[in-house]
Amino acid sequence: MKKQKIRVLVAKPGLDGHDRGALVIAQGLRDQGMEVVYTGLRQTPAQIVAAAIQEDVDCIGLSCLSGAHNQLFPEVVRLLKEEGAEDILVVGGGVIPAEDIPFLEEKGIARIFTSGTSIEETARFIRDHVKKKLNDGNGANSLQTPQKIDHIGIAVKSIDEALPFYRDALGLRVQGFDSVSSEQVRVAFIEIGDTRIELLEPTDPNSPIARFIEKRGEGIHHIAYRVEDINQKMEEVKKQGYSLINEKAKPGAHGSIIAFIHPRSTAGVLTELCQPGDVSDGGGKYDE
Amino acid sequence: MSASAKEQFELWKRETEEKLKRFPERKDKFVTSSEIELDRLYLPEDPDDSYLEKLGFPGQYPYTRGVQPTMYRGRFWTMRQYAGFGSAEETNKRFRYLLDQGQTGLSVAFDLPTQIGYDSDDPMSAGEVGKVGVAIDSLEDMEILLEGIPLDKVSTSMTINAPAAVLLAMYIAVGEKQQIPSQQLAGTIQNDILKEYIARGTYIFPPKPSMRLITDIFAYCSKHVPKWNTISISGYHMREAGSNAVQEVAFTLANAISYVQAAIDAGLDVDDFAPQLSFFFNGHNHFFEEIAKFRAARRLWARIMKERFGAKKPKSMQFRVHTQTGGSTLTAQQPDNNIVRVAIQALAAVLGGTQSLHTNSRDEALALPTEESARIALRTQQIIAHETGVADTVDPLAGSYFVEHLTDQIEYRVLEYLDKIEKMGGAVAAVEQGYMQREIHQQAYETQKAIESGEEVIVGLNKFKIEEENRPEILRVDPALEQKQVEKLQDLRRRRDQEKVNTTLTRLKEAAQTDENLMPYILESVKAYATVGEICGVLREVFGEYRAV
Repeated sequence: MKKQKIRVLVAKPGLDGHDRGALVIAQGLRDQGMEVVYTGLRQTPAQIVAAAIQEDVDCIGLSCLSGAHNQLFPEVVRLLKEEGAEDILVVGGGVIPAEDIPFLEEKGIARIFTSGTSIEETARFIRDHVKKKLNDGNGANSLQTPQKIDHIGIAVKSIDEALPFYRDALGLRVQGFDSVSSEQVRVAFIEIGDTRIELLEPTDPNSPIARFIEKRGEGIHHIAYRVEDINQKMEEVKKQGYSLINEKAKPGAHGSIIAFIHPRSTAGVLTELCQPGDVSDGGGKYDE
Repeated sequence: MSASAKEQFELWKRETEEKLKRFPERKDKFVTSSEIELDRLYLPEDPDDSYLEKLGFPGQYPYTRGVQPTMYRGRFWTMRQYAGFGSAEETNKRFRYLLDQGQTGLSVAFDLPTQIGYDSDDPMSAGEVGKVGVAIDSLEDMEILLEGIPLDKVSTSMTINAPAAVLLAMYIAVGEKQQIPSQQLAGTIQNDILKEYIARGTYIFPPKPSMRLITDIFAYCSKHVPKWNTISISGYHMREAGSNAVQEVAFTLANAISYVQAAIDAGLDVDDFAPQLSFFFNGHNHFFEEIAKFRAARRLWARIMKERFGAKKPKSMQFRVHTQTGGSTLTAQQPDNNIVRVAIQALAAVLGGTQSLHTNSRDEALALPTEESARIALRTQQIIAHETGVADTVDPLAGSYFVEHLTDQIEYRVLEYLDKIEKMGGAVAAVEQGYMQREIHQQAYETQKAIESGEEVIVGLNKFKIEEENRPEILRVDPALEQKQVEKLQDLRRRRDQEKVNTTLTRLKEAAQTDENLMPYILESVKAYATVGEICGVLREVFGEYRAV
C-alpha cells in the first residue's frame, strides 16, 4: 500500500441533493494531485465514516446545503473517534452561516469553507493539515528525517568471491567481518564515504538470505537509514500505512537498534531503520 | 404586409378584442412620462412570411412573442414567492403574511424528508426535519398549512416530485373539507422526476415506475383537476447545477418530450393532457441571452408539439413558464449586492415573457430568507411591474437585431442537443447513461475555473472585495422543531383508525402491482391519514429505489 497522494473522501451527508459544489471540489482536488472518492448523495454519518476507513483516506470533505450541518457534521467526527479514526482530517462546506462556524470547529471540524472559497485555498489547507495531523499523532512537531544511509545490504553467495571487486577493483577499505547466528548470516562491512556496503552471505540454506538469493538471485537486499529515534520513526511509518516486519525494534550491529519495513509497501525495497548504538568502534561483535 | 401576415394580424386583432371583453387591460391607455402613447404591439414596417414563421403575433403560433395576445397589459405575471420552513403552523403564518403583502400565488417549499418520502421520525430524516421547507407527514399537517387560505381563490405551486401524487392528493382532500370541488383547484406540482436524477437529487423510485406515476397524474387530473398544472418541467435546477442557457433549454425540452411520449404511450390523447404541462426556468445573469432563451423555448416547444406530436389545441403548444432568479449567482460576500442581481435577472424574465416569477432574497447564499429579505425580493418584482413601464407593451425587444440573433442561435444549438439525445434513445436513456449529468458537471467546472482565474468577474467575490464587518441577521429554524414534529406524528398514529390505514395501504400496494391508475388509491390512503412515509414505503416495496449512476 503505497501512500504518496493525499486521499480525500468528498461526502454528502443527509438528504440534500445539491452536489454541484461537491462535484466541483472533487474534480478540483483531483487536478491538485489528490486522490478523491465521492460518496454520492444521501449518506448517513455512519456510512461516511465506514467509507472513509475502508478507503483509507486522510481527509473527509463534507458538503451540506440543507441547513442540517449542525447535526450531521459533528456526528461524523463523533463516529470517527468511536472508530479510533480521529486522525482523519474533517473539513466542511455548503450554505453555512458564519455564526455556526465556531460551534462546528469546537466539535472537531477543522475548517468550514464557505461559498466563494477557491479550490486552491481548499487544497492548500488540506495539504498543510493532513501533514500536520500525521506529525501531531506522534507527539512531535515535525517528521523525523533519517540523517543518512547507514548502509546498503547486498546478498551474495560467497563473501570471498564478491569481496575482491570492492576491495581490489574499487579500492575500498574493508571495515571488518562478522556473523549473526540468529540470522544465519556472515557479513562484511566496506567503507564508502560516510556510509557502508554490507555484504551478506548465508550460513544455512534455510536462512532468510539464502531464500532471498534462491528467489531473486544475488543483488541489493536492503537499504538501511540511520535514524535518531527508531521507535518514533516506526510509529510514523506505521501511521502512514506501511507494514513493519518487526513490531518491536531489535538489536543490530555495534549496539545499534534496527527494524525492517516490508518491501510490499515500499515499492519492493526492503528498508531497514537503524538507530546507532553508543559503541562506535568498527570491530564489535554482532549482538543477538 | 404579406397576405398570410395580414390574415394572422387580423386574427390577432379579433382575438384581442374577444379577450378584452372578458379581461380589460390594466389601464385605458398606457403612456410614458412624456405622454407618448404606447401601442399594445409594435411590428416591422412590412411583416412578411419570414416574420410570421419566426415571430408571429402574441398568443399565436409559434408564440415567440408570448402566449397571450395582450400579455402584461392585461395582467402582470403572478408574483409567487417560494416559502416554507419549520412547522405547518409557521409556514401558514408566512403564507398569510405574503398574501397580505400583495403576493398573488402561493408556492410551498417542503422539507427534504417530505420530498424524499420519509416521515419525520424516520432515521434518514435526522437533522433535516423542517430545514429547507415545511415538514408534512400527513393530511393533518396539510390542513394546518392551508388553514384560512381560500383554495378557490389562490393558486398554489408545490415543489414536490417523487411523492407529487401524495401531496396533490392531500391538497384535493383539504379542498374537499373546504367544500371546494377538485375541478376548481388551481396550482402546480413540480412532478418532474427526470431533472431530479440529473440535478436536484430528490428521487425515490427508478425511472420506469416514476414515469408511470407521472402519467397516472396526467390522466387523473385531465378528468378531475383540470385547472392544475400537472407538471413543471424544470430547467431551473440544471442551470443551478452549472449548465449554460442552451443546455437549460435543451435538457428541459428533451425531458418534456419524454413525458409527452410516455403519456401518449400510456394511451392518453395529446390534447387531453398537454394543456396542463408547464415549465420552470432560471433567470440568470446574461441579460440578453436570458431574454432570448424564453423566446426561443416558446418557439421550439410550439413546433415540437405541433409537428412531432400532432397537437391541435393552441394550449397544448403554449410554453407557459414560471421563473426563479438564479440562486447560485448570489454571493455570500456583500449580500446586499444580491438585490441588484435579482432585479436585473427578474427584469430579463419579464422581458422574456414569463407567466410567474419568484425573486430570490439577498441572503439565500447564507440561509433561508428572513421576513425582511423576502419582502425586499417581492418589492423588487412590484417595482418592475408598477414603476418601469416594461409591462406596458407586448414583447418590447422583438425586432432587435441582436435579440433575434440570440433567439435564433439558442434555437439552433438546442436542436443540435435534441438531435443528439434522440440518437441516444431519448432523455430517459440519456439520464440513465449519465449524459446530461456529465455535460452539466463539465460546464460547472469550467465556470469555477474561470471565476478562480478571474476571467469571469463576480463583483465582491473575485473583484471589488471588502473587509466585511457586519453579518446580516438570518433566519434559523428552531432545533426543537424536529422533536415536536416527531411527537405530533406519533400522537396521530395513536389517534387515527389504524385498520382503515392498513386497508387503504394494502389496496394501494395491490394496485401498484397492476396497471391501474394509482391516484384514487393514494387519495383514499391520504384521507385515512396514512403518512407520506407509509405511502411511499408501500410504493418502495413494489417499485424499488433508484441508485444514482
